[in-house]
Amino acid sequence: MKTLIYGYGNPDRQDDGVAWHVLHEIMKHYGLPVSDDLDVDFHDEERQMVYDFQLQLTPEIADDLDVYDRVCFIDAHTGAVPEEIHLEKVTANFQKSPLTHHLTAASLLSIADTLHHKVPETILVSVRGYEFGFAQSLSAATSSLTRQAADIIIKWLEEEHCIKSGDTNGFTNKT
Amino acid sequence: MVAQKITIEPVTRIEGHAKVTIRMNAGGKVDHAYLHVNEFRGFEKFCEGRMVFEMPLITPRICGICPVSHHLAAAKAGDDILGAPPPRPANLLRELMHMGQIVQSHGMHFFELAGPDLLLGFDSDPALRNVVGLLQANPDLTVKAVQLRKWGQEIIRILGGRRIHPNFAVPGGVNKALTQDERDTILAGYDDALATTMAAIGIMQGWAEANMEDIKKFGVFSTGYLGLVKGGNTLELYDGDIRLTSSTGKELEKFDPRNYLDYISEHVENWSYLKFPYYKKLGYPGGVYRVGPLGRLNNSDRMATPLADAELKKFKQLNDGKPVENTLHYHTARLIETVYAIENVKVLLQDADILSNDILNTCRDPKPSGVGVIEAPRGTLIHHYWMNQNQQIERVNLIVSTGHNNWAMSEAVDSVAKTYIPDAEHVTEGMLNRVEAAIRAHDPCLSCSTHAVGQMPIILEVRDSTDQLVKTITRD
Repeated sequence: MKTLIYGYGNPDRQDDGVAWHVLHEIMKHYGLPVSDDLDVDFHDEERQMVYDFQLQLTPEIADDLDVYDRVCFIDAHTGAVPEEIHLEKVTANFQKSPLTHHLTAASLLSIADTLHHKVPETILVSVRGYEFGFAQSLSAATSSLTRQAADIIIKWLEEEHCIKSGDTNGFTNKT
Repeated sequence: MVAQKITIEPVTRIEGHAKVTIRMNAGGKVDHAYLHVNEFRGFEKFCEGRMVFEMPLITPRICGICPVSHHLAAAKAGDDILGAPPPRPANLLRELMHMGQIVQSHGMHFFELAGPDLLLGFDSDPALRNVVGLLQANPDLTVKAVQLRKWGQEIIRILGGRRIHPNFAVPGGVNKALTQDERDTILAGYDDALATTMAAIGIMQGWAEANMEDIKKFGVFSTGYLGLVKGGNTLELYDGDIRLTSSTGKELEKFDPRNYLDYISEHVENWSYLKFPYYKKLGYPGGVYRVGPLGRLNNSDRMATPLADAELKKFKQLNDGKPVENTLHYHTARLIETVYAIENVKVLLQDADILSNDILNTCRDPKPSGVGVIEAPRGTLIHHYWMNQNQQIERVNLIVSTGHNNWAMSEAVDSVAKTYIPDAEHVTEGMLNRVEAAIRAHDPCLSCSTHAVGQMPIILEVRDSTDQLVKTITRD
């Protein structure tokens, strides 16, 4: 059972990049090496988990989803979503995007379904963003949510999908 | 009847924050349509105090959509200000990366953004008027289109070494040579990429013939045209002189990009944060011009690769040799440029210098200011830096591609709204989609680069002359 943990956003626009920080929290929980590099692309072969981070979702990602059984997308959200941390199951549903070159997770699954007739079990965890200026630091309010968001994802992995917990050390293979 | 205003906010499928207001007159007809761009221009300030050599890594943060264009324009400005012209192999490699960016950006625009409107119809069910609908209608071509974009991205990844914020071009050259294996990997995708794009050109030409009536009345207006050229007015995307031609195709100016301030000025309107560049000698709005694929093809006499040049000749016949003024032919021009970029990848990879390790000029002859200009997918991109004796940035001026097209986009919105919207009471989704399509044709990028969930619902508002809300239409 292969799992993709896929964060996206712009780390240079403060809270828009919160997914990068959440991704790091999860990797640290599993004892995986992390760095300041924005280009996260890490395979944990022991747990069959792939960690990826990109500025945005793009259509070609859909072409690669057929190898995964589970996907967790991580994003930021604005005040239009009431919760500070929002978790939802995502199903294939193309949504007309308001942004050029921008897809929603549901739209991406829809493309994947059309391409490969296969859609992995997918959740989207998003974290409330408060500031979107030109900086790499998170706002204090969003920063305080990153560990909590990571815990929600870890719980989903370990309780619902029996991913080996983070107190073991065996893993890893950098690609 | 009370005068009314229709607002579309934001415009779907364009990058960044924009709003369209369609103001109705007392008779219920469109009086004028405006494109408001709520662009945040804090980036120039953000760069002040940074070291010049950092700029190729900092400026791609302006936009997650076209970071390569900013990366290369910044490196070129760095070459200029530090007095470090790159060795020939480095310029070839930079140009190769740029071709990857053109292929992925143009390919995506046609197949995934413009394609649904064109191939499925402006008035088709909005629930299906998207890339999934396109996949269902033409699965083979659409799958190949996904592969085309992947190929462009792969070129960038191979050269840049990373997918986010490529670290490749530096003032004076590049920091990595190309290996033979990498060259062969890229070349392996060449035939498929070209075949996919030529198929798209055939589709576009067929569509144009079948929809001539729409093309002739959809945002057709006169402007000048601006873009880089090389000798013989050959279309150039990486490095050349800036050529400006008139609405009749006559050459107005050809100049070194360093001197752009002598020719280009910017006008400000109180209803948009984005400025309106124009040709100084003709003033505003007489001196407005278009950039990007349509602007570049109108501004060029030939293209340097055979298939693209043959398509350019056909393009020139669309208006009997005069500039092509139809907004919808941006799509035609974009595909022809994609062919050029793909062919040029092969030309570059077959150059004897492409595997050379002579990739960096370490000599320096600094001066107070420097300019880097490149043809980004959306049009001419100008980076201009001023630095102090410590080589720290003191001032930055950026004229981004979308800015050059600001007047044209506004004119296209106004023209299409007046042509297709009969009155405020009978506005259909298809009509509004055409207004949006007038903007999308220019493939604008408004430097937002934030994508948080919940940021962008679509709202259409009808307001009367006292700004009271009369009607609201929303859609997902």
